[in-house]
Amino acid sequence: MNKILLIIRREYLSRVKKKSFIVMTFLTPLLIAGIYALIGYFTYKGINDTYDKVAVVNDNKILTEKLISDKNIKYEYVNRNLDEMKTSLKKSDYDYVLYLPNFTLQAPNNIQLYGAKQAGLSLNRRISNDIEELIRNQKLKESGIAQSDLDQLKTNVDISTKKIAETGQEEDSSAGASTIIAFIAGILMFMFIMLYGIQVMRGVIEEKTSRIIEVMISSVKPFQLMMGKIIGIAMVGLTQFILWIVLTLTISTAVVSFFANKDDIEKTVAVAKAGQAGTQLSHGSSAIAMQQGPMVDIQKSLAGLPIGKIVTVFIFFFLAGYLFYSALYAAIGSAVDSETETQQFMMPVMMPLLLGYALSLSVVTNDPYGPVAFWLSMIPFTSPIAMVVRLPYGVPNWELALSMFILVVGFIGTVWVAGRIYRVGILMYGKKTTFKEMFKWFSYKG
Amino acid sequence: MLSVKNIVKQYAAHRALDNVSLEVEKGKIFGLLGPNGAGKTSLIRIITQITAPDSGEVIFNGKRLNTDHISQIGYLPEERGLYKKMEIGEQILYLSKLKGLSTAEATKRIKFWFEKLEMGSWWNKKVEDLSKGMQQKVQFVATVLHQPELIILDEPFSGFDPVNADIIKNEILELNRQGATFIFSTHRMESVEELCDHIALIHQSKKILDGSVDEIKGTYRNNTYWLEYEGTYNVQSTNGIFDVLQTEQVKEKTLIKLQLRPEKTVNEVLSILLPHVSITKLDEVIPTMNDIFIDKVKGQHHE
Repeated sequence: MNKILLIIRREYLSRVKKKSFIVMTFLTPLLIAGIYALIGYFTYKGINDTYDKVAVVNDNKILTEKLISDKNIKYEYVNRNLDEMKTSLKKSDYDYVLYLPNFTLQAPNNIQLYGAKQAGLSLNRRISNDIEELIRNQKLKESGIAQSDLDQLKTNVDISTKKIAETGQEEDSSAGASTIIAFIAGILMFMFIMLYGIQVMRGVIEEKTSRIIEVMISSVKPFQLMMGKIIGIAMVGLTQFILWIVLTLTISTAVVSFFANKDDIEKTVAVAKAGQAGTQLSHGSSAIAMQQGPMVDIQKSLAGLPIGKIVTVFIFFFLAGYLFYSALYAAIGSAVDSETETQQFMMPVMMPLLLGYALSLSVVTNDPYGPVAFWLSMIPFTSPIAMVVRLPYGVPNWELALSMFILVVGFIGTVWVAGRIYRVGILMYGKKTTFKEMFKWFSYKG
Repeated sequence: MLSVKNIVKQYAAHRALDNVSLEVEKGKIFGLLGPNGAGKTSLIRIITQITAPDSGEVIFNGKRLNTDHISQIGYLPEERGLYKKMEIGEQILYLSKLKGLSTAEATKRIKFWFEKLEMGSWWNKKVEDLSKGMQQKVQFVATVLHQPELIILDEPFSGFDPVNADIIKNEILELNRQGATFIFSTHRMESVEELCDHIALIHQSKKILDGSVDEIKGTYRNNTYWLEYEGTYNVQSTNGIFDVLQTEQVKEKTLIKLQLRPEKTVNEVLSILLPHVSITKLDEVIPTMNDIFIDKVKGQHHE
C-alpha cells in the first residue's frame, strides 16, 4: 500500500511541477474570461455603436408614417432625388439609399436599396419587415383603427419557464441556461477523459520504451504500478479541474458583474426615457429591454440551478469515467512499443466516447428525458458524458444512483481486465500486438 | 542461499526454461552464462519475481520466494532504463524508497555513493542530460543502494568505458567482500574468469554445465602444452610419452603443441628432450571460459 502511495506521489508531482501544466492551468481560465469579456464587450458595443445609416428617398404619397429608427438602423428622410443620392453616396456618410417609389398599398413594387457595399441578408429582411409593418399600419388605419389602438396592439412576449421540482417547489429555470451548462459539462467531461486517459497511455509507453519498467516491477507489482499511475494522474486532473473552476468563477464573476453593472445603468436610463415618453414606449428602448430579457433570465436561472450538486456529480463521473477509460488506455499502452502503434487499439476505445459525446450534445440536449438519453446515461461507456449533460435538466435520484453504480462496477471490470493485459504487455517487446494476442495475455494464469 | 528447483517456464509455443535447477552459495559470485535467447533473462525475471514459473520453486534463505524478499534483491537489467525527465537524486531516492528505505537513510546513502563514484554534482541533473556511461553509473547505484543480500547484474559492463568498467568491477568485488552474493548474467567471458566463483551455462532453455570455475577448467584441461626450443632435433611422437599435435617453425626456434599420454608427466617429456635441445618456453594449454563456452554451445548444436 505504501508503495502505491509512493507511485501516486511521483506521478502526481512530476506532472504538476511541469511548466506546461502550470501554464495550462492558469492560462485557460484567463482565456475563457478573455473570451467572455470579448463577447460582453461586443454585445455591449453592438447595442450602442454599430448601426446602418439609411437615406430614404421617398416618392411615395400614401405612406404618411415614417420608418422608425432604432439601435441597429437609422433612417433619415432626405429631400433630394434618387440619382443625386446615388452619385454622392460614396462621399456622404450614409451607408445605403432606400428608394420608395410611388406604389399602391396593394402592389408595393420597385422598392430599391442602393449601397456602397452589398447589403446583408439580415439588413434586407429588416428593412422589408419595417416597410411591411408600415404598410400594414397604413392599411389598418385606412380601415378605421385609431393610432392609440394600434399602439396597444404591440406586446412584447417573454416566456419565463419554471420547473416544478420533486418537492413541489417552483424553480426558476431556463432551457437556455440548462443547455449552456449541459454543453459545457459535456465538453469538459469529454476533454478530461480523453486528455487524461491518453496521459495514462503515454506514461505507460514512456516507462516501457525507457525500459525503467523492469526495474520498477522488480520492486512493485505491475498492478500497483498501473493503479498508482492511474490514480496519480486522476489527481492531476482533479487539481486542474478545481483550479479551473475556482479561477474561472473568480475571473468571470468579476467580468460579468462589470458588464452587468453597465447593463443595469442602461436599463435605468431606458426606463426613465420610457417614463418621459409616457405610454408611448419608443421602439428603441423596448428593444434594449428585450435584449436584456434573456440575459437577466439566464443569470437568474443559473442561480436557480443546483451548481453544487452539478459540480459534485461531475467530479464523481469524471473520476469514475476516467478510471473506466484510463484502465483501457493503460492496457493499450502496455501492448505497444511506441505511440505510433496505438492507432488500431485507440479506435475501439475512442468510438464509444465520441459516440456518447456526439449523441449527448444533440439527442440528449433536445430530449433529456427520452429513452436514448436514459440508456446513454446508464451504459458505462457513455454515461459519464450523457449523465452530466442530462443533469442540468434534472435527473431523478434513482437514475443517478443506478448510473453511478453501473459505472463503478464498470470501472472495476475494466481495471481488472486491463491489469491482466498490462502485467504481460509491459514485458513484451518487438512484437506487433494483435487483439488475439491481448486476449491470450488476459487468459494467462498467475 | 538461493536454490532454484526444477523451474519450467512456457511462453505459448516456446519453452523458455526447461527444468532448470541451480544452487547459489552465500557470498559467492555466480556466473549465469549462455548465448542470446538461452533463457537467462527468463530465469532472472523469475528470481526477481517479475514473472512466476509454471512449475518448480525458488528458495531464498530457506524460504519460498515471496514479496518480503524484494527488498533483499537488487536487479540491474540488461536493458537499462530510468525516467528521462526526472532528476538523478530524486530518481534514485524514489527507486530505493520503493525498496523500503526511509527518505533520510536513502539520502545519506545516495550522498555516500555519489561521493565515492565521483558523481557529486549530479543530484539535480536530468537523466536525459547524461551520457550513456553516466546513466549506467546511476543505475548501478540505484541497484545496490538498499544493500541487498543478492545482487543480480545482467551484462553489467556493457556501455562502460574501460576506466569506469574497472571502477564498477572494484565496487562489485568490495560489495562481495562485505558479504553480498552476486548473480552475473553475461556472455563476456573475460569478466567471468576474473570475477566468478561458480558458473552455470544455459543453452536452449536447459542447463548444460554447472560447477566452480576452477573445477570446470580442470575438467577441460587435456594435458596439452606449448613447448618452444632451439636446436635441430626433430621431435617425434614415437617415444611413448607424448604425441605431437602441431609443429611450427619460428625463425631459429621451433614451437610444438604436444599432448601427454595417460599417466605421463611433464618431467618425463623434459628428460627426453633436454639432452637434445635448449628449451626456451613451456606453457600448459588451459582452455579459456570462452573456449569452453563455444565448445559446449557448438557441441550442443551438433547433437
